[in-house]
Amino acid sequence: MCLAVVLCLPPFYLDAFWLRIGLFSMAAAIGAVGLALLTGTAGQLSLGHAFFLATGAYGYTWLAGEPGPGLPPALAALLAVLLAGAAGGLFSPVAARVRGIYLGIATLALVFLGHHVLLTADSVTGGFNGRSVPPLTLGGFTFGAGDPELTVLGVPFGAEERLWFLGLALFAFTWFTARGLLRGRPGRALAALRDSETAAAVMGVDVARHRSAAFVVSSMYAGLAGVLLALSFRRVVPDYFSLVLSVDYLAMIVIGGLGSVAGATAGAVFVTALPLLMTRYADQLPLVAAPGSADGSVGPTEAARYLYGAAIVLVLLYAPDGLHGLARRARDRIRRRRPRPPATDPALSPPQPAATARPKEHTP
Amino acid sequence: MNTTHHRRRTTGAALAGALVLLLAATGCSSKADDGDGGGDKSAGAADGVRTGPGIGAESIRLGALTDLTGPYATLGKSIVQAQQMWADEVNADGGICERRIEIVVKDHGYDVQKAVTAYADLAPDVVAMPQVIGSPVVAALLDDIERDKMLTFPQAWAASLLGKEAIQVLGTTYDIDMIAAVDFLTRTKGLKKGDTIGHVYFEGDYGSNALEGSTWAAEQAGLKVAGQKIQATDTDLSAQVSALSKEGVKAVLISAGPAQTASLVGVAASRGLRVPVVSSAPGYAPQLMETPAAPALAAMLHVVSAAPAVSSELPGVQSMVASYKKKFPDSPVDSGVLSGYNAAQLMGADLKAACEAGGLSREDVLKAHRAQKNADTGLGTAQNFSDVDRPASVETYVLKPDAKAVGRVVNAEDAHTAPGVEEYLSGR
Repeated sequence: MCLAVVLCLPPFYLDAFWLRIGLFSMAAAIGAVGLALLTGTAGQLSLGHAFFLATGAYGYTWLAGEPGPGLPPALAALLAVLLAGAAGGLFSPVAARVRGIYLGIATLALVFLGHHVLLTADSVTGGFNGRSVPPLTLGGFTFGAGDPELTVLGVPFGAEERLWFLGLALFAFTWFTARGLLRGRPGRALAALRDSETAAAVMGVDVARHRSAAFVVSSMYAGLAGVLLALSFRRVVPDYFSLVLSVDYLAMIVIGGLGSVAGATAGAVFVTALPLLMTRYADQLPLVAAPGSADGSVGPTEAARYLYGAAIVLVLLYAPDGLHGLARRARDRIRRRRPRPPATDPALSPPQPAATARPKEHTP
Repeated sequence: MNTTHHRRRTTGAALAGALVLLLAATGCSSKADDGDGGGDKSAGAADGVRTGPGIGAESIRLGALTDLTGPYATLGKSIVQAQQMWADEVNADGGICERRIEIVVKDHGYDVQKAVTAYADLAPDVVAMPQVIGSPVVAALLDDIERDKMLTFPQAWAASLLGKEAIQVLGTTYDIDMIAAVDFLTRTKGLKKGDTIGHVYFEGDYGSNALEGSTWAAEQAGLKVAGQKIQATDTDLSAQVSALSKEGVKAVLISAGPAQTASLVGVAASRGLRVPVVSSAPGYAPQLMETPAAPALAAMLHVVSAAPAVSSELPGVQSMVASYKKKFPDSPVDSGVLSGYNAAQLMGADLKAACEAGGLSREDVLKAHRAQKNADTGLGTAQNFSDVDRPASVETYVLKPDAKAVGRVVNAEDAHTAPGVEEYLSGR
């Protein structure tokens, strides 16, 4: 509860730069939760996440825009998510046939195929230069600049401030639905599938159905992330949805800790926000020169890359089970030090995505 | 039970505390102050000049979104240094509008997401951007730049960037260059009706725009075009050379990067496909003349460009090259230096004109820019910025690699408008 209030604060203090980082992080978190479900819990390696993100982003842009059917944006967003799910569904027969690294390679094809289509299907995707994203409207309220002008507590609410709350709402939706899925029957069935398909089948899990369902649900989360990404970018371009993006999402769930929603969220924030923040503030470090100044010196971007690389190595060395595992161990240690009876039901205790909130709390 | 109660109370207290904090602190939030005192921004400074974002009492801040760590690092560095040199020169002369020029450089490493956040960081503090590198970056920022009315000179020359009020492509577009290239081939290399020319081009708007020009010009001249689409990651063009020699091409156009040009010319020479090759301006870099392909390049390659060679005898270019070499003795002088310096000078002219008209707000700078009908910096051809839908210039130079010259390139033909360009532009 307290965390929710804290997450509502940034639009009142931080400028567009920070809010954009937050928006990108929230979108990444939604996408990463989807991938965590698929790869972390169900054990299906996917390198095609960028494709499903693109489906959501471009689906929304086309459905709500001109040229396109020009549907009401809220409906377009919903349909874009369903479209991404349908794309996942269409691919799931492939997913049902190949396993492990082979599935990874098969999904790789999706990224290249998608990128090619985005570049060539000009009338739908706008080709290389992409398309403007129409702002989302909900019952007369626009998640964009102006219309209606809005000032809350003396702070003018522009596009970023409004999108922040939309992002929070979508993220909360993702958080609770994904946790529900993972902790309920389907999550257990998927985990059983990951560990041993034979054993799972013997216990009565419908292998083919669950494998394809995992793909569909994961793609739908990716589609939702794509819609939010498109809204915060305000323009979608094909070059963003490349293989690098897929690899970034894999990095998110590995760094965060496989198979948990909080972990995927922490990983998403780590991978998305850290490089951006480091690039922004690396020039404050000693020995870092202003960009493009003298020869042979280290510029802020290089310094940020070294630091980011070092951070990943550190996390993987000292927290092989990811940020989520690290947080759990830290919590256990604190509990042990404070000899209090543990909470009535650990499963009901509030989730602790402390890492989610922390990078956003600093005021520049 | 006891614990549950306690927990509920703590949460409640925390919630109430956070709310109080929120209410109390928005009072002193700098954002809230900004909203109330919005009039401050459009008000004039002490000297009566209308100001806006990026304009202080003693400074004018310009932004540069560049690539210093990605694939265009060399180009980015040249442009940043050249523009910094320009700023230093202007400041030594007393600045513009009695204000010092500051250039805020942000490196995005050719990453769209980094560039978009860097723009959000940069935009509130700068008046205009004399440099944005990377076509995908420019594409992703199109709407933001238009909305912010931020005069921007992208280092990209696709015709799809025309028609945007705030975005100014300097010089010619890729299609105009290729029309000039086809004209050069038919005029000097004896290509005649019925011949086939190859065109190797990048996927994306650079290549497709160049292909548009070459296809149009070839049709006018009765030539056939054999297109070969490649990716930016293809650096071995053996397959393309085989395909082109099977087609029996009499000449090859290439609209790709320097690595691709070197591969194409090198492989073609070694396979006996000794035909003239003409490249778009971004397809050549001075570093190519230090590769084993150098002799073949010197023998077969020409480059069409809106800017003259840095070794050209134009007095403006010569003095610029001299001071650049003095300031950055270890850096190569390439076309990026020239185009970056040229862009900065044009921006400076816009700022001066805007200042004389009484305002330095973004709208004023944009208006001053669009009023320039004959902007000549002495670094090449004059440009006309008054028509948003037309390239600023239609005159192109033909350059030739030369291992001994500054920038490894010399002028082969002076600036001229290729026949048919006007017809092409009116038909587009």
